[in-house]
Amino acid sequence: MKRFIFYLLLIGSTFAEPGDSVVRINSTLQNYNAAQPWEKNPPRTRKGLGVLLPEHQILTTAAMAADAIYIELKSADNTLNLPAKVVAIDYEANLALLAPDGDAGFLSDLEPAKLSEPVKPGSELSFYQLENNAESLETRGVIRSMELLSTFVPTGYFLGYVVKASMQTSDNSFTLPAFHKGQLAGILTSYNSKDQLCDVISIDIVKAFLKDNEDGSYQGFPRLGVGTTTTEDPHFRSWLKLPEDGGGLYISRVLPSGSAAKAGIEKGDVLLTVSGFQIDRRGYYTHPDYGTLFWPHLIKGASVLGQKIPIEILHQGTPKTLEVELVESPEPLLQDHGYDQAPPFLIKGGLVFQELSRGYLEAFGKDWTKRAPLNLLDVLSNPEDYEKQGRRRLVILTRVIATEATIGYDRLSSQIITSVNGQSIAGLPELAEVFKSTPSNGIHTIETDRIPYKIFLDEVLADKVDADFIQRGLPSLSRLYEVSQ
Amino acid sequence: MRILTRLLFAVFLPHVSLAQLQELNPVTQKPSLYDSVVKIEVATQSPDYRTPWNSGRFQGGTGTGFLIGPNQILTNAHVVSNARRVLITQRGSSQKHVARVKHIAHDCDLALVELQYFGPFEDLQHMELGGMPSLESRVSAIGYPVGGERLSVTQGVVSRIDFSSYSHSRADSHLVIQIDAAINPGNSGGPVIQDGKVIGVAFQGNNQADNVGYIIPTPVVNRFLKDIEDGSYDHYMDLGITPFPLFNPAMRSAVKMTESAKGVLVANVVPEGPADGLLERGDILLSIDDNPIDSAGNIRIGTEFVDMNEIVERKFAGDKVTFQLMRDGKEMTQEITLKAFPYSRIYSIRYEEKPRYTFFAGLVFQPLDLNLFASFSFENQRLRQLFTDYVSEGLFRKHEDIVVLTRVENDRLTTHMDKFRGLVVEQVNGEKIKNLRQLHECLNQENPPEFYEIRFSGAAVPLIIPSAEVASAQARISAKVGITKPSQLD
Repeated sequence: MKRFIFYLLLIGSTFAEPGDSVVRINSTLQNYNAAQPWEKNPPRTRKGLGVLLPEHQILTTAAMAADAIYIELKSADNTLNLPAKVVAIDYEANLALLAPDGDAGFLSDLEPAKLSEPVKPGSELSFYQLENNAESLETRGVIRSMELLSTFVPTGYFLGYVVKASMQTSDNSFTLPAFHKGQLAGILTSYNSKDQLCDVISIDIVKAFLKDNEDGSYQGFPRLGVGTTTTEDPHFRSWLKLPEDGGGLYISRVLPSGSAAKAGIEKGDVLLTVSGFQIDRRGYYTHPDYGTLFWPHLIKGASVLGQKIPIEILHQGTPKTLEVELVESPEPLLQDHGYDQAPPFLIKGGLVFQELSRGYLEAFGKDWTKRAPLNLLDVLSNPEDYEKQGRRRLVILTRVIATEATIGYDRLSSQIITSVNGQSIAGLPELAEVFKSTPSNGIHTIETDRIPYKIFLDEVLADKVDADFIQRGLPSLSRLYEVSQ
Repeated sequence: MRILTRLLFAVFLPHVSLAQLQELNPVTQKPSLYDSVVKIEVATQSPDYRTPWNSGRFQGGTGTGFLIGPNQILTNAHVVSNARRVLITQRGSSQKHVARVKHIAHDCDLALVELQYFGPFEDLQHMELGGMPSLESRVSAIGYPVGGERLSVTQGVVSRIDFSSYSHSRADSHLVIQIDAAINPGNSGGPVIQDGKVIGVAFQGNNQADNVGYIIPTPVVNRFLKDIEDGSYDHYMDLGITPFPLFNPAMRSAVKMTESAKGVLVANVVPEGPADGLLERGDILLSIDDNPIDSAGNIRIGTEFVDMNEIVERKFAGDKVTFQLMRDGKEMTQEITLKAFPYSRIYSIRYEEKPRYTFFAGLVFQPLDLNLFASFSFENQRLRQLFTDYVSEGLFRKHEDIVVLTRVENDRLTTHMDKFRGLVVEQVNGEKIKNLRQLHECLNQENPPEFYEIRFSGAAVPLIIPSAEVASAQARISAKVGITKPSQLD
């Protein structure tokens, strides 16, 4: 009976029917095994919804497409399907643009959604879900607040809406489109049933993502490349010689070769304004429409790569205004994520070498910040200490497979490689290059940061063991990549 | 009730030999061996490392001890650790005699206790220490465990002789005898006898196994008794090296060893340890005191292969150890004089010590050791790494104490300082902090700087305290939190 009333309400709605632009997305995801990088973990599936945009493109979250080996689009009534490919993806912003892999099929019969004008706190959003029998369910909610939300990659914070709504379990609900007055206004990424709150990616970020891809090559969101600390503590403020009232963020870290570094911003400077907005002591500013927002939105949401923005800082007590050009960030020593990338590895005689990544550390489980080896966690918290040593990536001996060549080494793991045969190692391809020439005594010397500090490997024996590996079903002894100069 | 008692006795009867039954007979006039086994009641005061200014917890417990010489009662260190009062009761008597701890060795869990007035105990036999029992031979454990008031005897066989951990200090391993008689609370410190001689001291059980008890064998007891002959206990000695087995053919060939050659690789030498400057990374140790060392670092004693450290285990401070070794293809001899290495005690639980700390304007600083680790859950990666590498990487040279900000008491001065809790102090106003006393002095200067600027390892910003506010905050917070003493530096 209740349901009946609900549908009556739906029919009575005066807005355009957005259900016509919604498609089902079924993704099969498969990532690599962190401990045995030559093989993949078992596949998983994710079911969500996407929204049709002009030119048969479909917008959904990056979570639906990251590590996907097969993406299938299905019509709302589950009768027609179509394979899809990824056109553009941003893991930090959690957005992906898909297109049919081949013929547009049933998409030609659907009506592309229009993009809504920016919405504000207090605006009403409606979320679309599909039932198994193709009936659509609409749930309405009001935007409680606008905040910078991290919805997929833990380090990616972007403008989003927190919406109070009471959602239900339904088919394909991993990702849901949100509409405002019949036009696409965001993408729902998660729902907390206890507090009945939804996290929604904002239309502002969706539009910036689509605009970036208009020329067919997706570049990504800009970053300032700084680490900051609040200046709430009055004693800290007076030590910095900041006035008692007023704001400012202390710059505690500057990413080498990032936008801030190139503009001359230094560690110890205090960030006062960005694009004319005052930054308070906790890092917030007042957006004319959206209310209080965290400052990175001024860079990531309100600016684009290549743009020059005015930034005011306090440098050694003197105010300074800089024109900061937002440039592409340099590749970090440790990548934030490893989605859609086959992890490089090298096996030599049973020694397994990999490049250290955040993903490798996270593979130590839920408590990885406690369980992962201390020497590797140190790299994550203090990457500068390791970048200084001329490395592009950090090569580690991740494990030792018991072979004739590795007798006595079986229990070694998580050793950072400092040099091989006297040569420093900038990355895995460089390590492979060093292994190509054998020292005159036929033994490779691998120096590491932990006991026993030196590991020796017999070239002839290692070759023999490696040949055995291939015979025993290891698909390959290495997966390397080209090093761009 | 009486029937029940008899039944119980009947059940236990087959385990007790005839000779012992005679000794159990109360009409025997001459004191039996069992009479030399006494009950020890201890009242303890254990410091609380979370509130180091407080008196700590007052508790108590009982254990067993036995007479080995004139006014010399041997027991476990853990029975009398942190003792404030020790009382001894003779078998079959209810009179409690005041005693005190004369020597205590936490690393081998042994202690020697003496009575205030030895008179009433003068007639008792002194129990004689024997040697190592053989596997499968029968032994009896005597003591005052839980489950009754009177003396208890359990029998078992020697099931294993091993090098294993001593849980009292949480850091030490020595020779251990495992028997299949259960060792229960209260048994601790009691003698385990065979043919009328003591072959060990009952000391710990195993929660993961049934009917397993562990005893400290006489070589360990004799070493303790010898160590204290000069009036003080000096601890076990350690070489301060990390050996790495030389099994790998490529590694052997790289260090120029023939196929049949023996010897173990030195992978690390602890800076300022006994071997520093005498042994080097990459040395191959061939023999220790003329005992050939194999590729795994073991030597042969009699028919058993044991770790080469067994040689060091039996030695004392000032004793020498001679190594035959290979360095850069040349054979040489090095003589190492053993010495105490107090820095390694950071990894042991400490007893009898007052926790050190300094309290400054709402901040509590304490030096890191295992006691502190057991009381707080530290997660900071820099702190954990400093602790792990403290000895092996010689970090004690930079940080004699690893000084940690353990508490931030809530106050208007400290409102924004909680983020620094659990971090290691690196500098105060540019001065590198090596130990707690130095930190205390830096924070209590006669002419203070305008701001105290405390920098922590791995933290992006310093903690700032305006010196003008220190005195009032110190008084205000001390009074509210109940800190009666601002520091304990020794």
